[in-house]
Amino acid sequence: MQRALVGGLLTGTLGGLLGSIAVLRQLSFFSDALGHSALLGITLGILIGVNPMLVLIPFAIVFALLINQLVERSSLPTDALLNIVYSSSLAAAILALSRIETYRGGIRQLLFGDILGISQLDLIIVTILLIIATIYLVMSLRAQVLLTLNADLAGAVGVNIKIHRLAFIVLLAVVVAVSIKAVGVLLISAFVVIPACAGRLLCRRFPIYILSSAILGGSCALLGLLASGLTNLPSGPSVVMVQFMGFITALVLSSNRFKRKEDASQELSQTPDVNLNDP
Amino acid sequence: MLSPVLMASGLCVERSGRLAVDDVSFALEAESDTALVGPNGAGKSTLVAALLGLLPRKSGNVEILGHCLTADGRLPRSIRAQIAYVPQSLALQGLFPISVKEFVGFGFDPPGPRFPWKGHRKRQQSVEQALQRTDCVDLRSKLLSELSGGQLKRVMLSFCVVRPRKLLVLDEAQAGLDFPSNERFQQLLLDLRRQEGWTVLHVSHDLDMVRRSSDQVLGLNRRLCCSGCPDHTLTPERLQELYGPNMVPYRHHCSG
Repeated sequence: MQRALVGGLLTGTLGGLLGSIAVLRQLSFFSDALGHSALLGITLGILIGVNPMLVLIPFAIVFALLINQLVERSSLPTDALLNIVYSSSLAAAILALSRIETYRGGIRQLLFGDILGISQLDLIIVTILLIIATIYLVMSLRAQVLLTLNADLAGAVGVNIKIHRLAFIVLLAVVVAVSIKAVGVLLISAFVVIPACAGRLLCRRFPIYILSSAILGGSCALLGLLASGLTNLPSGPSVVMVQFMGFITALVLSSNRFKRKEDASQELSQTPDVNLNDP
Repeated sequence: MLSPVLMASGLCVERSGRLAVDDVSFALEAESDTALVGPNGAGKSTLVAALLGLLPRKSGNVEILGHCLTADGRLPRSIRAQIAYVPQSLALQGLFPISVKEFVGFGFDPPGPRFPWKGHRKRQQSVEQALQRTDCVDLRSKLLSELSGGQLKRVMLSFCVVRPRKLLVLDEAQAGLDFPSNERFQQLLLDLRRQEGWTVLHVSHDLDMVRRSSDQVLGLNRRLCCSGCPDHTLTPERLQELYGPNMVPYRHHCSG
């Protein structure tokens, strides 16, 4: 259980960290598509008789790059393309898994996660990944912000758009792949999206936003796993429900703050010397 | 005589499989203001993107501050640091958690990876000065997504002026601004250009403003149809050649 808690904490922190950028760059659905498609990677591993988790990371990277190419080259809307890709790969994976006698019982764990299945090696991989992701995001903070705001602006002031886009997508794919065991393919995108959205509601400074997304991700995962252990419920859904409660709390806090701000601006507008119509 | 800040020769650029910019050559003299005008779909934004190295060129050369832009759009970092760009808009959906002060600070940092806390004090000083010079001090703690169109454009100028630059490129930066905001932005740009010695290239549809403020006009409709000083370029004949026979140009009474 101790290893599971550490694994959950690290995975949640990693999801919140990368989610903070993914949400701003409108990649939420991309992470969902990656998560669902990961089942196909696991199936491939089972079919060729290799540890599915070893196949999953290279599969996720290649798959992410292929989706990226498809989105860039196609004239169809991105959400429609991602829907086609993930539903097709999910269907193919479930069909293949239903033919493999030995894995029928394991589908539930793949879909909803099994945090107790986290090994020492998984912990080491997630720790290394968390260090790499933190260093990369800190060093490229300017590039990430400008790229999110306007790619041409970023390129004009010297950001290597192609490299940073690819680096982030690869990092996101690897994080999704290594988190599958704990969270499951159906709920992985919640790990990326919910803490970041809660952070976005609460923060007004960019580094604080990234930090709070990561902290929210880690702490919700920890609380969810504890709840899962106490109630004997599946780990993935338990964590997501705690994340959802965190999001609702952030929503309430932010609307209270917004209301206070509106009241203050109404008071100001009654003061004749203040010009609120500044263009 | 100062050497040109930007030179393009025989520039051809393809976009979506068609030639969007065909054999365009021109030079921007130091500290000059050049307007790029032409109808929608004429290739203005494509040309700007190619000049900045954001789009690959089919053929031709671009030289910025004496350095050739490589085929894959690279320039030495020291040259990139002297270029600023003001786009039409920023992607600010919903609450974008970045304050004006933070955004302008990113304009101060040179290109390349670095720890954000490096040179923090100098950055803060430069940001404060830039905000003062663009009349944005009151906006420093606001989120970018909370700004009006006019405020956002002034903040973009803070981003440009926060470090010394030589070349400023604006792609329809005044689009969507009402008349007072546009006038205020234009005056601020003019003042900063004079103070900083910027060479400015701007895409514009406001021919009256171009006539008043630019030293040189480039009329683009896939090819360079006309170029020269505004009085010689923005003539009814030239404009009809550029925009088509239905173009009926007239001057605002107030602009003389």
